[in-house]
Amino acid sequence: MAILTARKSTKRFGGLVAVDELDLEVKEKTIHSIIGPNGAGKTTFFNCVTGFYRLEEGEIFLNGHSLLGLMPDQIVRLGIARTYQNIRLFPILTAMENVLVGLHCHLKANYFGILANLSSTRKEEEMAAEEASRLLKFVNLAGKGDSFAKNLPYGEQRRLEIARALATRPKLLLLDEPTAGMNPSETQTMMDFTLHLRDELGITILLIEHQMRVVMGISDTVTVLDYGKKIAEGTPDEIKRNPIVIEAYLGKGSAAETMGVAA
Amino acid sequence: MSRFKLWEHGVKAGLLSSLMTVLLSLMGIVEAFSQRQIVSGLLSMDYALLGTMVVFMGYVAAKRTSRTEPMWVVINSLTCGMITGGMLLLLILTGEAVNLRAVLVNASPALYKILGFGHGLEASPLLFVSGALCGLFAGISYLLPWAIRRTLIVSLVCVVGAGVLQDMIRPTLAAREVLAGFSEWVFSSNGLTEQSAAALFLLAAGITLFWSLKGKAVQAGFKALPGKGQKAVRWTGIAVLIMILLVLPQVLGLFLSEVVTIVGLYVLLGLGLNIVLGYAGLFDLGYVAFFAIGAYVTAVLTSPELGFFSLSFWAALPFAVVTGIFAGVLLGIPVLKMRGDYLAIATLGFGEIIRILVLSDWLRPWLGGAQGIGKIPKASVAGFEFGMPQEIYYLILAGCVLVIFFSLRLRDSRLGRAWKAVREDEDVAQAMGINLVATKLLAFGTGAGFSALSGAIFATKLTSVYPHSMNVMISINVVCIIIVGGMGSIPGVIVGAIALVGLPELLREFAEYRLFVYGLALVVMMLVKPEGLWPEAVRRREFHEEIEEVEPAASTVSASS
Repeated sequence: MAILTARKSTKRFGGLVAVDELDLEVKEKTIHSIIGPNGAGKTTFFNCVTGFYRLEEGEIFLNGHSLLGLMPDQIVRLGIARTYQNIRLFPILTAMENVLVGLHCHLKANYFGILANLSSTRKEEEMAAEEASRLLKFVNLAGKGDSFAKNLPYGEQRRLEIARALATRPKLLLLDEPTAGMNPSETQTMMDFTLHLRDELGITILLIEHQMRVVMGISDTVTVLDYGKKIAEGTPDEIKRNPIVIEAYLGKGSAAETMGVAA
Repeated sequence: MSRFKLWEHGVKAGLLSSLMTVLLSLMGIVEAFSQRQIVSGLLSMDYALLGTMVVFMGYVAAKRTSRTEPMWVVINSLTCGMITGGMLLLLILTGEAVNLRAVLVNASPALYKILGFGHGLEASPLLFVSGALCGLFAGISYLLPWAIRRTLIVSLVCVVGAGVLQDMIRPTLAAREVLAGFSEWVFSSNGLTEQSAAALFLLAAGITLFWSLKGKAVQAGFKALPGKGQKAVRWTGIAVLIMILLVLPQVLGLFLSEVVTIVGLYVLLGLGLNIVLGYAGLFDLGYVAFFAIGAYVTAVLTSPELGFFSLSFWAALPFAVVTGIFAGVLLGIPVLKMRGDYLAIATLGFGEIIRILVLSDWLRPWLGGAQGIGKIPKASVAGFEFGMPQEIYYLILAGCVLVIFFSLRLRDSRLGRAWKAVREDEDVAQAMGINLVATKLLAFGTGAGFSALSGAIFATKLTSVYPHSMNVMISINVVCIIIVGGMGSIPGVIVGAIALVGLPELLREFAEYRLFVYGLALVVMMLVKPEGLWPEAVRRREFHEEIEEVEPAASTVSASS
């Protein structure tokens, strides 16, 4: 069953068509990768899904619910969370606070409950702190909760961003180049972690990725974009052999094997 | 050229220090400060200021030197001091030769007399030597261990502070019969006596030294106490603080209480803007508008002069605060999409609109126009009237306690986190499920409510309100308080208000240079301590006890998704 469906979605910036009549179906509990050369419209599509850009044409559905016209904060409540290509944490909030902000939409305390410090508010805060602690531990950041996000090393910032996204309790998680700037062993850890998210937590993952080793290693389905258009879709094996994809990536006449090392 | 490297920092710091001292002299600050003796007949505030400047720059020179040998450190700071002395000398010489006064009003013979230690040109070697001595002192103190250096600094600051604030301390002491004799021993007719200055210096030095030697042990002792013991110590501290706050106006007397009430009103304003600017990062420069609304609503509802309502202060207060909140939200709506500079300009406009409205002839029948509104009744509780500054103090204290309490609750809540997230990155905050509209409007409304409360108390304190007291300088003062105190820090607001509002009220000499001092304070803070005088402490809240497995986390997340 498809959790996310895009129908003829189009996003233009002036004369530039960044996403061009894109049809996409993301099946539940799969890892679905989107690849394509720089400027192919991958991140733009993410921004359309999460509500930061408005589509000019077409529609996007989450579990049959149209996302058209919803604000980003409404969309995250429906169960779509994301991370960013260039990490965007709240730099001078602690790691713990970053995760707690992710929990924001699941907390119910209102203004007067906060001022009166009702027992329900207190209990909720305690639960939230506990859950945030667990999430930090889950991404292997236990003990780092009290450091400012900006003071964490790069790899930990990446993981913290994922913890923050997980705190919103997403059904669909959009990861924008999660392995950018990582060494091979860190990349491997991130791959295992992504598989873990799908298999243990049952989260569907939509992934933008440039490292072919990652894409081919963990994806169930791969969609290839070029100039905002879908040029191919299929399992990693099918994509590896697809002559159109090879042409888009490497130009005419290149050998299929080179796909494996292209990054 | 390579030999110059050895001197480079001394020369640079010397030129900078010359620039600053000459500037202070030509602005008239030195002359203005010369009236105030710190230690009677020994040290006055002008020399203290110039000396501090030179010592500070000499210290910077010593710190920056590329060589670590004590000789070079001292030579650099000495160079700095000598250059400054030389330049001041040059200023006197120029002044004697050319009439600078035609252009620089403050380049007066009186100034040269001060710079020449009362003698003018004949004392020129003395100026040079004292510059060098300041430099030498800076260099040597840099070489001393930190504990001794700190002791020196703290003791000197205590002596200078006691001297500067003598006008406040002396009457307070003299008013008590028991202390009158003590007061005479401490203060001569102008400034500290020499023996009391020495005693104060030694006392401060003793305490600081004791703390540097034993402070760790005391802290460790506190940490070693069981949880209950720590709590008891903490509560005792709070109880002592409350006692001090309660008896404060009785001790301080009329004038000082007046200063404290003004500081208190700014603390209220600062805590409100702290929510808007410090937490939510919304740069509101029209903040005085809500102060004005609070004051005018109180005035209109209570003053018999207009004859509309003549309510009591307490009946009018809720209306004032609610109107303030409402205005805050109303202003928030059109500027929701604006950020940073644009927001500052738009809100600045709003502040001016309110001021011009209350000034206008058009609204005169209702708001009094340029004459303002008078005869606002004093607040009273069960026959006790808050009339004198010493009594108003309690009203403001109650307001501050309430607002601090609200600020603390909000800061540690889901809403406080949402505000901070919006401050850090608005887009990502929204992508985390934060409703920007509601969050920003709540910040605007809360801040405006605090400000209106301050305005209402201001109205009953003065028993009249005028348009000209609602000018943009109030907004700017409050922004400065927050920046100097520390963005988003509640104690920072209090420290900032004391430093930027209290001190200038106490030091008459500052009055003329108030804006200069603000500018200087902002620049120095940005360079030296950008996080503010008392930055917000990081809240420690991660659970450090072990949680057994990773699995529970997984199940929680999956169960709830």
